[in-house]
Amino acid sequence: MMNKHWTNIKSAVSRNVLFAVITAVLLLSGNALANAAYAFDLDKIVRAYTLENGLRVLVAERHFSPTVSLYIRYKVGAVDETNEQTGAAHLLEHMLFKGTKTIGAIDWRREQPLLEKIRVIIKAIDGETMKGDAADKGKVEDLHRELTLLQEEARSLFRENEIDRLYTENGGLDMNAYTSYDQTTYFVSLPSNKIELWARIESDRMVNPVFRDFYSERNVVIEERKQTVDSNPGRQLMEQFLAAAFMVHPYRRPILGWESGIRYLDIDYLRHFFTAYHSPDNTIIAVAGNVDPDEVMQIIRKYFGSIPKQGTSARFIPEEPKQSGEKRIEFVSDANPELIIGYHKPTLPSYDDYVFDVINTILSKGRTSRLHKLLIEKKQIASRIDTTNGFPGARYPNLFVFFATPRHPHTNDEIERAVYEEIARLQHNPVPETEIKKAKNQLKADFLRSLDSNRGLAGMLSYYEAIAGDCRYISNHLDVIDKVTADDIIRVANEYLNADNRTVARLERRNNTSSTLHLSE
Amino acid sequence: MKRSIPVFTMVIICFFTMMGCRPSVTIDPDTIAYRPLDFSPQQPERVELPNGIIIYILEDHELPLLNVTAVARTGSMYDPVGKEGLAELAGIVMRTGGTAAMTGDAIDAELDFMAGNVSVKIEKDTATISLSVLKGDSEPGMKIFSDILMHPAFEEKKLQEKKDLKIEMLRRIYDNPRNMAFREFSHIMYGDNPRGRLSTVSSVGAITRDDCVMFHNQFFFPRNIMISITGDTTTEDAIALINRHFAAWRLSGDIPRVPLPNVNLKGSVNFLFKDLPQSIIIMGLFAPGKYDPDHYAFEVLDFIVGSGGFRSRIFGTIRNRLGLAYSAGSFYSPRNEFGVFGAYAMTKAETTAQVLSVLRSILDDAKDVGVTDEELFWAKRSIINNFVFSFSSAEKISMQQLLLEYHDLPQDFLTSYRYRIDSLTTSDLLRVAQTYFTVDETTVFVLGNEEKFDMPLSTFGMVTEVRRDDAEVGNSNENP
Repeated sequence: MMNKHWTNIKSAVSRNVLFAVITAVLLLSGNALANAAYAFDLDKIVRAYTLENGLRVLVAERHFSPTVSLYIRYKVGAVDETNEQTGAAHLLEHMLFKGTKTIGAIDWRREQPLLEKIRVIIKAIDGETMKGDAADKGKVEDLHRELTLLQEEARSLFRENEIDRLYTENGGLDMNAYTSYDQTTYFVSLPSNKIELWARIESDRMVNPVFRDFYSERNVVIEERKQTVDSNPGRQLMEQFLAAAFMVHPYRRPILGWESGIRYLDIDYLRHFFTAYHSPDNTIIAVAGNVDPDEVMQIIRKYFGSIPKQGTSARFIPEEPKQSGEKRIEFVSDANPELIIGYHKPTLPSYDDYVFDVINTILSKGRTSRLHKLLIEKKQIASRIDTTNGFPGARYPNLFVFFATPRHPHTNDEIERAVYEEIARLQHNPVPETEIKKAKNQLKADFLRSLDSNRGLAGMLSYYEAIAGDCRYISNHLDVIDKVTADDIIRVANEYLNADNRTVARLERRNNTSSTLHLSE
Repeated sequence: MKRSIPVFTMVIICFFTMMGCRPSVTIDPDTIAYRPLDFSPQQPERVELPNGIIIYILEDHELPLLNVTAVARTGSMYDPVGKEGLAELAGIVMRTGGTAAMTGDAIDAELDFMAGNVSVKIEKDTATISLSVLKGDSEPGMKIFSDILMHPAFEEKKLQEKKDLKIEMLRRIYDNPRNMAFREFSHIMYGDNPRGRLSTVSSVGAITRDDCVMFHNQFFFPRNIMISITGDTTTEDAIALINRHFAAWRLSGDIPRVPLPNVNLKGSVNFLFKDLPQSIIIMGLFAPGKYDPDHYAFEVLDFIVGSGGFRSRIFGTIRNRLGLAYSAGSFYSPRNEFGVFGAYAMTKAETTAQVLSVLRSILDDAKDVGVTDEELFWAKRSIINNFVFSFSSAEKISMQQLLLEYHDLPQDFLTSYRYRIDSLTTSDLLRVAQTYFTVDETTVFVLGNEEKFDMPLSTFGMVTEVRRDDAEVGNSNENP
């Protein structure tokens, strides 16, 4: 069905461009959204192109306002690091905001040798401090002094935060980047006449980034960890949960890295990681907004077309062995109890992943969802219950996860029992048709709402192009969802949601700490 | 009944000939030539119903969705003493506790089946009630939405459920240092003013169904409601839809005035203990409100000092140069008559005093030396060029216009905005910095474990310890 909607369009300007576009195709099945109430024809607004260097570009044209959202997704994430360099992908993302040889540089020829000296000193400091108690403290102090002087000199040769300055000054909104297990994403929204600025910056940082201020940025990431993990018992529990649920697959490691590891992240490894994976043939661009696709492509070809591809090679990512037996983790803290339960399952595009999308909605989306009704309204034992399908990533087989917080004086035990009762119901009793229909309606409406902004649209197109290899996954998704039956749900619930395939992580309050509030006043 | 809104055109950066550029990828990014951005944002239609409800409507037919948002003048600052938390809870139970026509459960079932959303959110000084439905569900969606606004039933069972959940949330507040810090900071800044009161286990426990009914009667009447409708509808259909559901509503009332906070605080240093590896530091000051001519200069000052991203002074110094924080910056929340400014950073316990000193010196520097021409140019261009995003969706445009009227701001507030920003000078910024960045009026708040700090907090002034019990029940009398 989908292939008949593929149409090749020759680029009108290819003769002017050294690396001409190969194809431009119209995307997305027109009758994908069967139900007329949800009808929205992405066909009309999305075009896809592949440059000769492998760079994949999706352009969605819409005209409400003169703005545009721009996404770059590199198909490389935390899973691609080595164990010893856990956190490298994320630190690299930070480093890519430090400018390039031509952005931020005042005198590159003088700066370059200084940065080389700084690199050598940082490696020497790391090499010494890594010895722990045996480290030569005097030597480390000397090296630090030298580093400080060199950094001061280097700072006089570049303008800090030029990438941010350029975007902000030109009206950029929400400029940011994030690293996930599966991919690394850079995005910004701009007035729609400023696309060339984006192309100038992004093409340059795909080739010529300069890792300035590496030493202090590594410390920033340690602060990031203290803020988002060490001061947050829920996040600490999550780390423990993932480390238990995955024995060998890199989904077990924290994206930020462990604190001791962040301290020694290696600038040379970051350079290698950058060169190996930040190549046009490993990259998706999505542009959504008030743009003319031909004009956008002319700019993209001009700036990105001559970047050579690296021929990103396949990496070995260890496969998670089948779990056979429950795993349990207890994390003790002076915080209130929390609970995470996860089950291994296949990722997209497996049909069972679609079935889990429906199960996810039935269990926890909306006030009439099963777990909300049972745990929060009927039994009144939880203050929060949520489920997620596809955690913590989607490139590899992942988890279906329950998150809950008990309501005092109720316990994690009670929640666990209630969740298992609800799972048993899914395993043994067919979900009524109206309930399945409700879940499908919700999935379709959520999809529509996610398209309501340029950013939402560009984000989704680039995400599924990177993860599923084809952004048509988005609209086909709803077609497949429509086919899910009560029998599918019973089968999938029995196959995956069983005790042997389960990891449970519980945050329990330390015995000698009292609840923070006095309930009897 | 209709009022026309002046149409204006935005032309941003008027260079031309992008097409003529030489294809050189090393072009200086500051010299890229952009085509002009001609833009005449669509204008919402304004309609006033005979009963006083004001409606803003803007069509947008791209997606088959209808979005409706009502705002009402009410909020937690009107909560009676001893019933703190009433507005927030009543808002939630308006949504969940049924209406004269339907039980709460029936409403949940109908909304979930049509994949529609209704939410009620009541903050310090505004209630926001929203509806999002597929176009085909406009009628049943609006029926539920209007009944929730006009005839909520506040079922006892649902009220009790929400009270229990709110109490659980209070129990857990100390598990989230950031929320805990900003809650205490706000409490200290506003002092005895009603805006500073905090809900507690006992105040939430004391709230009854009658309180909710009285709250609703006091604040929900046509002249206190404004509604924005956007999406896949026509203006005529939208007016008819609102008329069918709201025209018969005939009530009136008065909104009480809440005294303004004391904006001339004596400076103070406040400390709340929690054994954490990282401290949260906030320095707060009162700032101009939206009615104040200094509002524009202060907005630009705040941008340069800490809210303008990587290039702003706080971020650039504390994060970028010193590597002492991941989150650092400033915020400026202007209300109508006054505003609140805060400079903040989160840093490891061992560098708490160092970072506090840097924050203070950044504010002092803005006051003593001022900002540079380069900084001002950057801030102005950033704010002016970003302005187009205020008009990036029908909902934003419609709400923007609605809120101007809601806040009694002049009609030309938006049209003159860019001009006012553009005409500011470095001496304007120096003047507002000198007026508002007064050291002896600064409220310093630090959360963390002082034993691990690099210097005692008393270095910065007499320290008032926010006692844990007081913080928990929110009845601290130690405010300045």
